[in-house]
Amino acid sequence: MTTIHNHKKWSDRTPTWCPGCGDWAIHTGLQRALAAQDLQPSDLIAVFGVGCSGNMNDFLHAYAIHSLHGRSIPTAIGAKLANHDMPVIVIAGDGDTYGEGGNHLLHACRGNHDITLIIHDNSVYGLTTGQVAPTALHNAKGKSTPQGMIEQPISPLNLLITQGATFVAQSFAGNLDHVSLMIQQAMQHTGFSVVNILQPCVSFNRVNTYQYYLEKSYPLPEGYDPSDKKSAIAHAMAMDEEKYALGVVYNVEREAYHTAVAAHENPLVTYTKPTIIEPLLGEFT
Amino acid sequence: MNYRVLIGGEAGYGIMTSGLLLSKIATHTGLHIFDYVQYPSLIRGGHNAYEVMISDSEVGTLMGPIDLLVCFDKRTYETHKDLLAEDAVVLHDPKEFAIENSKIHAVSVPFRDILTAAQGSYMMKNTVLMGSLLAVMGGDVLWMHNVISQEFGKKGQAIVDANIFFVNQGYEYVTKNFATMIRPVFAKRTLDATQSVVMTGNDAFALGSVIGNCRLYAAYPMTPSSTVLATLAGWQEKANMVVRHSEDEIAVINTAIGASFTGVRCAVGTSGGGFALMVEGLSLAGITESALVVFLSQRPGPATGMPTWTEQGDLLFAVHAGHGEFPKIILAPGDIEEMVELTAHAYNLADIYQTPVIVLSDMLLSESHRDISRSTLQKIESSYQVNRGKYILEADASYERYAWSDDGISPRLQPGYSGVYFQANSYTHEANGHTSESAEDRLLEVAKRNAKTTTYLKSHFVLPQVYGDLEQAERILVGWGSTKAAGLAATHILAQSNVPVAYVHFSHVFPLDKQRLASLFQPAYLSKMVSVEQNSHAQFARLLRQETGYDIQQALLRYDGRPMTAHDIVQFVAQSISK
Repeated sequence: MTTIHNHKKWSDRTPTWCPGCGDWAIHTGLQRALAAQDLQPSDLIAVFGVGCSGNMNDFLHAYAIHSLHGRSIPTAIGAKLANHDMPVIVIAGDGDTYGEGGNHLLHACRGNHDITLIIHDNSVYGLTTGQVAPTALHNAKGKSTPQGMIEQPISPLNLLITQGATFVAQSFAGNLDHVSLMIQQAMQHTGFSVVNILQPCVSFNRVNTYQYYLEKSYPLPEGYDPSDKKSAIAHAMAMDEEKYALGVVYNVEREAYHTAVAAHENPLVTYTKPTIIEPLLGEFT
Repeated sequence: MNYRVLIGGEAGYGIMTSGLLLSKIATHTGLHIFDYVQYPSLIRGGHNAYEVMISDSEVGTLMGPIDLLVCFDKRTYETHKDLLAEDAVVLHDPKEFAIENSKIHAVSVPFRDILTAAQGSYMMKNTVLMGSLLAVMGGDVLWMHNVISQEFGKKGQAIVDANIFFVNQGYEYVTKNFATMIRPVFAKRTLDATQSVVMTGNDAFALGSVIGNCRLYAAYPMTPSSTVLATLAGWQEKANMVVRHSEDEIAVINTAIGASFTGVRCAVGTSGGGFALMVEGLSLAGITESALVVFLSQRPGPATGMPTWTEQGDLLFAVHAGHGEFPKIILAPGDIEEMVELTAHAYNLADIYQTPVIVLSDMLLSESHRDISRSTLQKIESSYQVNRGKYILEADASYERYAWSDDGISPRLQPGYSGVYFQANSYTHEANGHTSESAEDRLLEVAKRNAKTTTYLKSHFVLPQVYGDLEQAERILVGWGSTKAAGLAATHILAQSNVPVAYVHFSHVFPLDKQRLASLFQPAYLSKMVSVEQNSHAQFARLLRQETGYDIQQALLRYDGRPMTAHDIVQFVAQSISK
């Protein structure tokens, strides 16, 4: 997909990422995905985490919240519950979502909240200059683990699928068209949709490079059925052996949280007059 | 007339149900009630004591000796017998334990035998007992029939009939065998359920939230705030609200901030431990200038502390909660009427100042019931005006979310308006919301936040309510939040002994305005003041000193988890005067 878009419409400041950082491609891919859906900046709610990825807040026009580190998911859930007429996306990092906000991620999967989570997965904490992320490989050396990381890496796609996310895709920042396509499909999905984007950090990660991902990633086979949970989990678990599936790994339908809550017909923002209390007093009588 | 009833027994046998029923019946006969429950943090076993204070004038605290002790078990008698009034009646089952003391007016009803004879389950003991209780208090057994039909109607006529049968048994046993023990509390009264309702401080917060047009309430259960979550969750459809039980209190507050961003009024609720987890988010609400109401119902800490008991130990924590400096308003209602009113007001303040407003409660206020007339509630409702401050629905492309204004408050646009966008930024930012590290932007942003406090003190800070004559008073009691009822009751009791005492009640506890408080805290008054608080650090006195320099020298502090009583205050004042 090579849609030409009006760059200024979505962004008028030059990003501050390192030259060669995967964030550039994700930034561009996201703008293309938004343009392809005929969205305007005022149509969209974007919630940013804190980290290099979260710094996209100043380079993307939208009704936006630059939230706290790890807390972008519950913030986005609140925005969706209050005004479900607007699409809500989350731009966050691997530390944000798999580390500090791990509990929120787990419960967003269970709730199937209709938000799209775009995870910048570079296995490293870039903004704090090079500590290991939860997705870093076993024995990875970083500033906080000079002897090598003792823990196993988290198995992100597996976690998402097994805990109830209804759309799970993986992409690679070295493939702009693919990034854009995955984000677009994720946003079209009703329910909790996640795109885990493998992304080299050119300053602090010498292991998970462009070359590394080019060698170790693979497209999902022709005719792959993303509604088959068992094969989705098999592809998700391939990551444990450093094999990275690219594409929509899992995609099923389940009622989204906001459509199941009681007051879902009109967005909450439209209720501008208080409810009369008289009918509520019965239980106090 | 004051009449104090204690219903006690093991948890799980309907003590709470019986107590609340008594509160409602008394209210519907036109009397006033206050109730208070002592219970351990467990579901079965342990000792529960439900106390109902019944009076022909307004009442908000437990006073005097016990007039009727209703024993589900022997432990109740042993624990509370020393608090009995001279002509008190003790209702008990003689098969469970005997009362040897001939001075005690025992009403011995063989509850178990009555149940066994008619094949009733032991769980129905409270039904028989309610019949006996009503008889002792001179009530009409038909009142219970009505209640039972309402309560059990859905479960079928057989259940209704069985309950009515056992209520009659308990009632008749007393009228036949203990006619001399009947006390005329309900004598000549009729039942009218259309005038008043019975509710807790938590119910009042829920109701105030509806009046205040709250549309999203997020919480994680934590005693003593949990019933707000249950009540509002039950109202979701009727009230068009979303009530969300999130995974933890961190998610709770960030969910509310996300909702607030879109323009809906929202609140979160918790107790001290959960509030500790919310502190990071509170700071986010401060910098993003998010309108947010936080319900903080205190219990004794630190950490898990005493979950089902009361304390005012989190005032200074609330005042100082959140990293960095940002404006915050703290309200501490003194009773359920104030709770309804100030809660609704809190939503206006949150919108006007675009910052967190904390409504402080505690177990005593949150879980105790009081009667309140429907007309009072309707008056609060009809006089309430939604005031959204500088909330706007449209703007042009030059719109800046954090535009400078001398009062510190910028126009806040409802997201979704076409052709415009902005960001709410957790980083220090420019007027348009973009991240900034410039010294100029920083100074402007800080000045803007600080200006909000100045504006609030000028426009919305409310002076404390003064009860009594400060000039004449031998002592001036200074209280805040739930100590109000005990403080007022104490001033009445002391007035009867010709000891003039005044009571000063703060409901707007933070921030405080030194100038506007100057005449109240003039040296002649200050030297007579006593800070009355439910904590061990005299936290309000400290806060007052910190904010204004006024230094209250004396303090009456209670921090054993039990509520401050009028008796505590009377005793303290008497001793302090005799010195």
